[in-house]
Amino acid sequence: MSALAEILFGGLFQGSLYAMMAVGLALVWTTIGVFNFSHGVFMMLGAYIAWQLIELGLPAAVAFPIAVVVMAGVGWILQASVVRPLIGRPNIVLVVVITTLAAGSLIENGALTIWGPRSKQIPALIAGNATIGGVGVSLHQIAIIVITPLILAALWVFLNRTRLGLALRAVAQNEDASHLVGLNVTALYGLAFAIAASLAGLAGIFMGGYRFMSPVMGSDPLLKALIVVVFGGISSISGPIFAAYLIGFFEAACSYYFGLYWTPALLFGVLILTLMVRPEGIFASRSRGLA
Amino acid sequence: MNPILSVEGVTAGYGRVTVLHDISLEAGRFGNVGLFGPNGHGKTTLLRAVSGLLQPKSGRILFDGQDIAGRSARAIVGAGLIHVPQGNRLFPDLSIADCMALGAYSPRARLHEAENRAKVIRLFPKLAERWRQRVRTLSGGERQMVSIGTALMSHPRLLILDEPTLGLAPKIKDELCASVMDISRGGVPLIVVEQDIEFLLELTQQLYLVNHGAVATEIKPGESLDHGEIMSMYFGH
Repeated sequence: MSALAEILFGGLFQGSLYAMMAVGLALVWTTIGVFNFSHGVFMMLGAYIAWQLIELGLPAAVAFPIAVVVMAGVGWILQASVVRPLIGRPNIVLVVVITTLAAGSLIENGALTIWGPRSKQIPALIAGNATIGGVGVSLHQIAIIVITPLILAALWVFLNRTRLGLALRAVAQNEDASHLVGLNVTALYGLAFAIAASLAGLAGIFMGGYRFMSPVMGSDPLLKALIVVVFGGISSISGPIFAAYLIGFFEAACSYYFGLYWTPALLFGVLILTLMVRPEGIFASRSRGLA
Repeated sequence: MNPILSVEGVTAGYGRVTVLHDISLEAGRFGNVGLFGPNGHGKTTLLRAVSGLLQPKSGRILFDGQDIAGRSARAIVGAGLIHVPQGNRLFPDLSIADCMALGAYSPRARLHEAENRAKVIRLFPKLAERWRQRVRTLSGGERQMVSIGTALMSHPRLLILDEPTLGLAPKIKDELCASVMDISRGGVPLIVVEQDIEFLLELTQQLYLVNHGAVATEIKPGESLDHGEIMSMYFGH
């Protein structure tokens, strides 16, 4: 019983973090058609900005939302500086991989210079622990498990029930036609990056509350998010969300039965199998679009 | 009547390839305008330059007296110049309702959203039956109706149609031509690119033959021309 509870809980928790990360990657891919390799750095930066604000004396409840908003600005600026100038060029996918990797590396080393290599921690969302089904869990993790689906649901409502969300979905499908109905395509690209960066920053804040932060804290989650979007299909928003939780459960089960040591190998086994059998992802239709 | 659109000496192209060579034409002085001519000679490029999808290298494009050359597509849509591109690719995973909402995205069009929606439904009753259906599930003719309907939602002051009947079955084509005539009778001036000259002769009052990125021949109202002459324009003598 406790084994099941542990896997269930671990899966929900990891899945939540992966979903927050993967959704941002998928949002940027579907709207702009590029892959953002500085996404992991967004996560790190969100956590460090929150840490800095708390260090300056702000309460966590104020610092966290500010950090998330600042990350939206960071996402916008990054898009304007290393993605927008390249739009329309040949090989844009590959070029943007390089520019976002480079920007990510710069920001990572910038963080190292500003904040130093010493590990840091930010306060948990809710302090304290509880025992559920014979498994000891922190309230922080419970909070993440509850908050993440709410945020993802809010994103869904935004994309599917608002005019601005409709515009984002339209840009994802046909750029020329979007211009011809008068959409501000450049601003929508910026918005996609801003939302993605905010979600990644929030994931960073979640992570900084239970694990030590370092300037490279985003690289492992980025890798996991990549696995998630390959597994779930990157051409929609819902695919990666389901896949994130599936991967989370898979990882939790592997860790429980085979140990942490074998988990990455098994995960990549699944990834390779997915690529061989269903390269477009298990939840994907064959087209691009936000849904 | 002053022309609502006049293109003055526009040169444009893609990268180092120049497609339009100093092209000039006018629309709206005598009614609807038709463009025809062989494929690959700049008709679509001209329309892309007019609607802001492509920045012309030189020349002026006056819409309602204002130079719109080099302005953003959004500003041009905002001014009321609406372009329905060729091939009805549109937004495959959006519903018809979504497309109509997008058509009314600009602040100017939003004021008339309900009225224009009623107009579109009156013109294309078929769309109302499939209002929540995704565009990708529609037939070619229905998709073209969505394209034109979306443009009408943008409250056009000048409507540009690029080969609206391309690839449609004859019966559907006739229906669509009738709808386009209806739109014109509703008071919206049109610029239409078409390969079907019969349709153009019926719909428009002024014709331009576009060849090698320039106007080869202009046919003003009153000047008629027979089938043989058009054929020789297309294929040479």
